[in-house]
Amino acid sequence: MTPTIRRAAKAPTAKPAFIPDPGHVTDHLLVSGARKSFGGTEVLKGVDLTVAQGRTTAIVGASGSGKTTLLRLIAGFEAADAGTISLAGVEVAGPAAWVPAHKRSVGYVAQDGALFPHLSVGQNIEFGLPVRGRAAAARVGELLEMVSMDPSYARRRPSQLSGGQQQRVALARALARRPQLMLLDEPFSALDAGLRVATRRTVSQTLSDAGVTTILVTHDQAEALSFADQVAVMRDGKLAQIGSPFVVYTRPSDRATAEFLGDAVILEAWMEGSLALCSLGGIPVRRPPVQGRVHLMLRPEQIRITEGGSIRGRVVDTDYFGPETTVRIQLAPIAVDPGKPVDPHQPVGGEVINIRHWNAMLARPGTELSLKVVGEGVVFPWSE
Amino acid sequence: MSFFQSTTAELAPGSKSRRRAAGGRGTRSGPLAVVVLSILIAAFSLLPLGYVVVMTGNAGWDTIQKLVFRPRVGELLFNTLALVLITVPICVVLGIAGAWLVERTRLRGNKAWAVLLAAPLAIPAFVNSYAWVSAIPSLGGVWGGVLVSTLSYFPLVYIPVAAVLSRMDPALEQSGASLGLGPWQVFFRVVLPQLRLAAAGGALLVSLHLLAEYGAFAMMQFDTFTTAIYDQFRSTFNGAAANMLASVLVLFCLLLLLGESKTRGNARYARLGGGAQANPKRLALGWYQVPGQLFLAALSVLALGVPLFHVVRWLIAGGAAIWTGSALVHALLQTLGYGLAGALMTTVLAFPLAYLVIRHPGPVTKVLEGVNYISSSMPGIVVALALVTITVHNVPAVYQTAVVLVAAYALLFMPRALVNLRAGLAQAPKELDEAAQALGKAPLVAFVKVTLRLSAPAAAGGAALVFLGIVNELTATLLLAPNGTTTLATEFWAFSSEIDYAGAAPYALLMILLSAPMTYLLFAQSKKAAGQ
Repeated sequence: MTPTIRRAAKAPTAKPAFIPDPGHVTDHLLVSGARKSFGGTEVLKGVDLTVAQGRTTAIVGASGSGKTTLLRLIAGFEAADAGTISLAGVEVAGPAAWVPAHKRSVGYVAQDGALFPHLSVGQNIEFGLPVRGRAAAARVGELLEMVSMDPSYARRRPSQLSGGQQQRVALARALARRPQLMLLDEPFSALDAGLRVATRRTVSQTLSDAGVTTILVTHDQAEALSFADQVAVMRDGKLAQIGSPFVVYTRPSDRATAEFLGDAVILEAWMEGSLALCSLGGIPVRRPPVQGRVHLMLRPEQIRITEGGSIRGRVVDTDYFGPETTVRIQLAPIAVDPGKPVDPHQPVGGEVINIRHWNAMLARPGTELSLKVVGEGVVFPWSE
Repeated sequence: MSFFQSTTAELAPGSKSRRRAAGGRGTRSGPLAVVVLSILIAAFSLLPLGYVVVMTGNAGWDTIQKLVFRPRVGELLFNTLALVLITVPICVVLGIAGAWLVERTRLRGNKAWAVLLAAPLAIPAFVNSYAWVSAIPSLGGVWGGVLVSTLSYFPLVYIPVAAVLSRMDPALEQSGASLGLGPWQVFFRVVLPQLRLAAAGGALLVSLHLLAEYGAFAMMQFDTFTTAIYDQFRSTFNGAAANMLASVLVLFCLLLLLGESKTRGNARYARLGGGAQANPKRLALGWYQVPGQLFLAALSVLALGVPLFHVVRWLIAGGAAIWTGSALVHALLQTLGYGLAGALMTTVLAFPLAYLVIRHPGPVTKVLEGVNYISSSMPGIVVALALVTITVHNVPAVYQTAVVLVAAYALLFMPRALVNLRAGLAQAPKELDEAAQALGKAPLVAFVKVTLRLSAPAAAGGAALVFLGIVNELTATLLLAPNGTTTLATEFWAFSSEIDYAGAAPYALLMILLSAPMTYLLFAQSKKAAGQ
């Protein structure tokens, strides 16, 4: 029996988890200590971010976390109150420097594409080109093909395009000037689900072919994990964690990040050495930050229903979603070794957890199941 | 004074632009240069109000007592109050009834009626008065004033109310019906409350027009504050008496604004639901079709038929003799010249404030907008009085020059430009400007190629409405026009004052012909504005 995985960790063959190596990759964008307030509200509270040449970074966070503001600082639409921003080694914003948006060689694609409604698709793409006439027309055709659109679209008006086409034209327009850095501000969020995946794939492919350093801002964690080499999780105006998609998903730095990036099973646990004792037994934890009472985090796909598993659970109820079923399982309390003295703070366990399974028939309420846990857990210091 | 402060109040600045208020290296309340410019323009627009306040303050209590508390003022007070209190309710009832018939019933020919009910705005009130006086020479007094001004001004209620009705979410009426209300109950308990803002805005405009109108009432020798100030000014030039009357008139205007803002309450910026696809249910009229048609026909005959008939009658009676070529061409060219110069100047002056309102909403912008709202409600006679006195005493070099007249037009018609520019700039979101900057255009180039380009059609629409206002402006033009300057309105006035009704007819015809397309534009725009 194989449990289904909804938010799969990235398959290593599709895109290797990227860990920056300062030895051979140069830093393209450097943001340090960026702060910004609007009318007394501090939106950015000191942000440091490094993006390597040619790589893709996703800044992911809930709305209001400050991610769009950070993007606008990098684009040059706003000036930071403090901190510096450097592009390709040149300081473009800081106490001593200010390079306006139009001189930054930064491409920008807004949420709704922001195509100029009074210009045709071709004129939109030509807008930033230094050349005119035949050379420009040829380049427009080239760019449209780059974003998988027929060059005949050049004559159309933006209003005649679908949302996905508008986004692709906006990308072609931004690529026309061969920017060093491409900023994408939630460019897929206005598209419906099917179109979103297709457009995202085209955009991602185009940008990696062009070798452009890219920053994507999104509130969709699945989009961030699938699109980027590096994910920066933003919360309350700060970057809570930066790392490869695999690392931030499997080893989130705190509980809020864990829950933001995907479904998480959080259990009370007792840390002893490198084992976390909980209702699921002893789970190995790499480099636990503390000992004693902790919260243990596992991803639902790490918990599998299996015959002969050592952990017992009883099905409480299920939610049927078609290809998969969410199964709520009542776990047994933490097994205590009768010969060992028990710490009064030690948790008792016996939580109800949610996991997913493909077989809806299997898990009727009341069924006794045996479970096993795959891989390591992550622990966070205890908080009430 | 403007048409459609009311419909436009619904064009609230979007929450999006509010959220992204601060931009670039400018301050939170907008680029410093634009803010300073807007403050200067607002200060300029406060001139008439400031003049009245200062004059009243300087006059001293004894003078005020002597000049204000006297039988003559009591008579003017009675006339003006009676005029407003009778005309405004009639206009509101006519406007709402007409709008409801046209927009919400299966009235035959409702598309044509929709235009016909707005059309009286193309006929200046003083031309309407001229037609009615030539039809009924004995017409006058309060009832004469009520008749003519009702027929001239009811479209000011009709247009915004129709715009709101045509866009009202039918779901609310359906909810009303599902809660057990009959059609009449739905109208009074669901529809009518939603028309409150539009109707109150329209009523305010009618009231301000009534206070400001000179020509229509002077034609039938019905005295209001405005006609009295004019006469006083003509006889004594700069008498304290004219100033005192003006301050009473201004007080009235301010009270009206206050009253209207109380009606609006916090709902001033209430938006109509944008997303809902409005497809309102129309009521089958059945046998009520006949009285409905008769009502609208009677209204149109009185408001359009009578003035057009009499203009044509005088044209025929006058024959070829009244087409005194050079004078007519002179007046037409002067009118076009002042109209274009005034429209251009007003649009340019309104731009900084419109820009701040859309791109940098905030406390400073709100104050500036409020100043503009109040100062633009000053009657033409007060604006003229203020500009004459200020230029004579402080800048004699420009006294009785075209500059002062154009400035007066800008003061009078700024809101028309402002309202349209606001709508236009809302069509050019900041994000487009930023997209252009990210594509390598310097901020100024981006602004010209994107923001200015996209708001140009709306700016042109606003300029056209200012032009319409100038073509039909009489009071301020009579007082401020340089020697030798004649406009269609002043020439019309000169002829009809000498009871040469035939001689005046060609000027009336030209004013109506020039106004008709602009009135249609205004009508079309109000529909669009309510939908945004």
